[in-house]
Amino acid sequence: MDVRVWRTMDPLIVAAMAGLIVLGLVLIYSASATGEWARGPLVDHPMVRQLFYAAIGFGALLLAMMLDYRLLGRAAPVLYALAVLALIAVLVVGQESYGAKRWINLPVVQFQPSEFSKLVLIITLAKFFADREGSVRSLRTLTLSLLLAVIPMGLIFLEPDVGTTLVVGAIWLGMALMSGIPLRYFGILTLAGLIVLPLIYEFALQDYQRARIETFLDPERDPLGRSYNLIQAEISIGSGGFFGKGLMAGTQTQLNYLRVQTTDFIFSVLGEELGFLGGVLLLGLFTVILLRAIGAAERARDPFARLLVSGICIMLLVQTTINIAVNTRLIPATGVPLPFISAGGTSLITCMIAIGLIESVAARRSRG
Amino acid sequence: MLTTLGGGTKFKSPKRPRLTPAAAIRLRFWALRAAVFLLFGILIVQLWRLQVVEGRVYQTRAEVNRVRLQTIPPIRGVVFDRNGRQLVRNVPSFVVSVTPFDLPIDQQARVAERLAKLLNMLPEDVERPIALRRLRGEIFQPVIIKSGIDQTTAFIIEENNDKLPGVQVRTESVRQYLGGPIYSHILGYTGRITEEEYQALRHLGYTLNDRLGKTGVELTFERVLRGQPGKEQIIVNATGRQVGELDSIAPVPGDNLVLTIDSDLQSFVADAVRATMGNSKYAVGIVIHVKTGELLAFVSLPGYDNNLFSGPVPEKEWNELLTSPSRPLVNHGISDNFPPGSIFKLITGAAALQEKIATVDTKIFSKGYLELRSEIDPRIIYIFRDWGAHGWLDFYQAMARSGDVYFYQLAGGHYDFPGLGAERLAAYSRAFGLGEPTGVDLPGEVGGVVPTPAWKLREFGEEWYTGDTYNMGIGQGFWAVTPLQMLMVVTAFANGGELLRPLIVKEIRDPNNNVVQRFEREVRRRVPVSVDNLNEVSRGMVLGVEWEQGTAREAFVPGMRIAAKTGTAEFGQRDPRTGWYESQHGWCFAFGPVENPEIAVLVFHEFGSGGQTAAPAVGRILRYYFSRGQLAR
Repeated sequence: MDVRVWRTMDPLIVAAMAGLIVLGLVLIYSASATGEWARGPLVDHPMVRQLFYAAIGFGALLLAMMLDYRLLGRAAPVLYALAVLALIAVLVVGQESYGAKRWINLPVVQFQPSEFSKLVLIITLAKFFADREGSVRSLRTLTLSLLLAVIPMGLIFLEPDVGTTLVVGAIWLGMALMSGIPLRYFGILTLAGLIVLPLIYEFALQDYQRARIETFLDPERDPLGRSYNLIQAEISIGSGGFFGKGLMAGTQTQLNYLRVQTTDFIFSVLGEELGFLGGVLLLGLFTVILLRAIGAAERARDPFARLLVSGICIMLLVQTTINIAVNTRLIPATGVPLPFISAGGTSLITCMIAIGLIESVAARRSRG
Repeated sequence: MLTTLGGGTKFKSPKRPRLTPAAAIRLRFWALRAAVFLLFGILIVQLWRLQVVEGRVYQTRAEVNRVRLQTIPPIRGVVFDRNGRQLVRNVPSFVVSVTPFDLPIDQQARVAERLAKLLNMLPEDVERPIALRRLRGEIFQPVIIKSGIDQTTAFIIEENNDKLPGVQVRTESVRQYLGGPIYSHILGYTGRITEEEYQALRHLGYTLNDRLGKTGVELTFERVLRGQPGKEQIIVNATGRQVGELDSIAPVPGDNLVLTIDSDLQSFVADAVRATMGNSKYAVGIVIHVKTGELLAFVSLPGYDNNLFSGPVPEKEWNELLTSPSRPLVNHGISDNFPPGSIFKLITGAAALQEKIATVDTKIFSKGYLELRSEIDPRIIYIFRDWGAHGWLDFYQAMARSGDVYFYQLAGGHYDFPGLGAERLAAYSRAFGLGEPTGVDLPGEVGGVVPTPAWKLREFGEEWYTGDTYNMGIGQGFWAVTPLQMLMVVTAFANGGELLRPLIVKEIRDPNNNVVQRFEREVRRRVPVSVDNLNEVSRGMVLGVEWEQGTAREAFVPGMRIAAKTGTAEFGQRDPRTGWYESQHGWCFAFGPVENPEIAVLVFHEFGSGGQTAAPAVGRILRYYFSRGQLAR
């Protein structure tokens, strides 16, 4: 523990993060004003819950910041093993919801292992690539790193959670690129994947697993009626115009035309009520975090820190992009939470720990 | 650049020096920064496109989403008798409906099951109409699942509206008929709109859930009673529940009807006809004001309970109504055909006087039958029976006594006595309105048949014989008339030759009781018979009441001159031994007072006798009417 990090951390990153969290709380409040929670007990209100998670997350952030990140590198194998175990556990004892098993019910809260496993994989890959700085240009290193990524990916895919699977894949790809792996290897791996994946699908999966994936890939068969929701999300955002309809004044939101409006589709609430300006503000805050983080990575004193922060940046960038692209109908529906904004404890706490790690690196920069 | 980032060297010029490790790392970070700007840039462009370029379009779509046009049903007009007694009122009833648009399809089965349990129905009976409506594509219009539900159930459903998306409880008003079954054929009933009716009426603003008049004045005055539906723009949430209102046009309530019917008289007529109907399966009693054509009583027995149709009709009751031999759903006064029998002799007699076939002094002898030699084979002699051997009768006596031989000869002639002939008789009959509807404002009226040689050839492929003319002259044979047609015939005799259109509705009044429309007497035509000749016929009818040998003596009213004529029309199989028919209809019609006629009455018994069942009923009605000491207003 090092309390002196206060002096050397980057306050702008935390400020931008805090801005996003406040924005998220406001949007969650607005989106729940007329929902079924409006009449429920206060502790069940999504905004109150989110506030509670933000408080926990802030504690975790401080811990992560004061922690010397190098300890994490050493703990990587243990963390990785725990993450894989949690992912297996969710498939066995997980809470089924909307045809997918993603949550483990703990005494007080629900826990979503796939969210944590993203961060664990970033730490693991950063450690893995950093330890092989000399041999990073070998196909063997790349293949081994892929193996590390494929295990959680496969398990998340089986939940099924295609969105998070994609995010994890993107994290691996981005980190491999950042570590200096030659591009041509990716061509070879793509080819191998095209051969192996259909075989896995055909022989390794059970019928019900295939059915789940097919349900997920075909929106018409989605029990949530995502195609309805996609259209409503598009209408919400489009009708917001340049300035938005104002908080609590979005007809789409307040009349509950949007569903899952506090989670995967919260950006539509922002689009409707705060308009184009709100969207630019949100992306601006993310840009601040990402650019400052990239700067911190660049100045990091060791390859592990550099790759750790790069991985976190990639995670935030990919999740934000996928979520907004789904909301604006640029890509098909895949459920990915919007970092810091979407209601959801595991996602928020994970992202706040990630910020803590960035700060931890920023505070311990190289003198060069 | 990406190749450089990957560190591959194969595709690069060998002349270029390799990047230092530090430079390579810096390059990767710049690539990462570029990725941030590229991806976020794409998102910004998309947001600009959706929100700024096409914002207007999406604003319209959001508006359509939340604003829905809803029809407000108007209050249906009610019905009064001529004295202001209310015969129909509206009572509220709870209706459960589902708007398919607001019920996500994946929740349909679950909601149907839950709702079915609450309504004590089968889940498939809830789901089927919703699925049907989805097929039609009219997903914004609520589908009625059950009407007439009790208040407790209505409240339970309202309480659970979170778990029942798309389900609504509304009140609709249903009809309550107060006068009992004796009004069933006049008032009719309302029922749920059918598919065909909807297709035909949707341009008038009818919705799939409307109730409308199915028969009686509910049907003929549908447009008057219905009023104008209102419209409101309401704000609905995603489950279709109304959360606000933007604009509305109030519905205009329907106008009320004031019938020409006098409800006291209606009750009395029903009782009198019922009391005398004996074994008849059905019977009719009608009273009309002879100067205006207003129907003061119009009873077709048996009736049915119109209130049965306010909800779904139980199958058992419906089957009974459909299969009963007395056909309670049929208005026997206008929708059923019978031979008129001797009451037709008014037309034969009037035509014969007008055509100078006979005078009031023409005497004809009846020995109980009339012989007619066959025109084809002179060895064959046909016998045409009279109902009695009356001896010599003049015109008045023949009318009073209803001598068949007399009217056989007026109609068909006999050797050197020229008759009217079928064609002339048919022409007079049509002039008196037979063979065509009377035009009363009730649905289901039939025209009937005026037989002629051409008609017989067409229908049966047979020649017309003199015997057919004989039968025609006494109202037997091929005739098909309705009781109301015959009442209008006697009315024409009473009012000096005007064939009126019978009126069932006197006035249309708006909800503030202002008269919107008054139905005035309407003369369809003047009959081609002089007033003198009409009066000669009437004189014969008076004799039928006053002469001890008259057939209509039961129709008397103390201290008043009444003209009446009975008829006993035979139908069914003739008994070969006795020569009589197995069944007979009893008719009697009358008017009075003869000096200044006011009302005409007709009674018809399906299985009865003119003199013994119908005339007593007519007499009771006349005596009641005139003893009230008041004239119908």
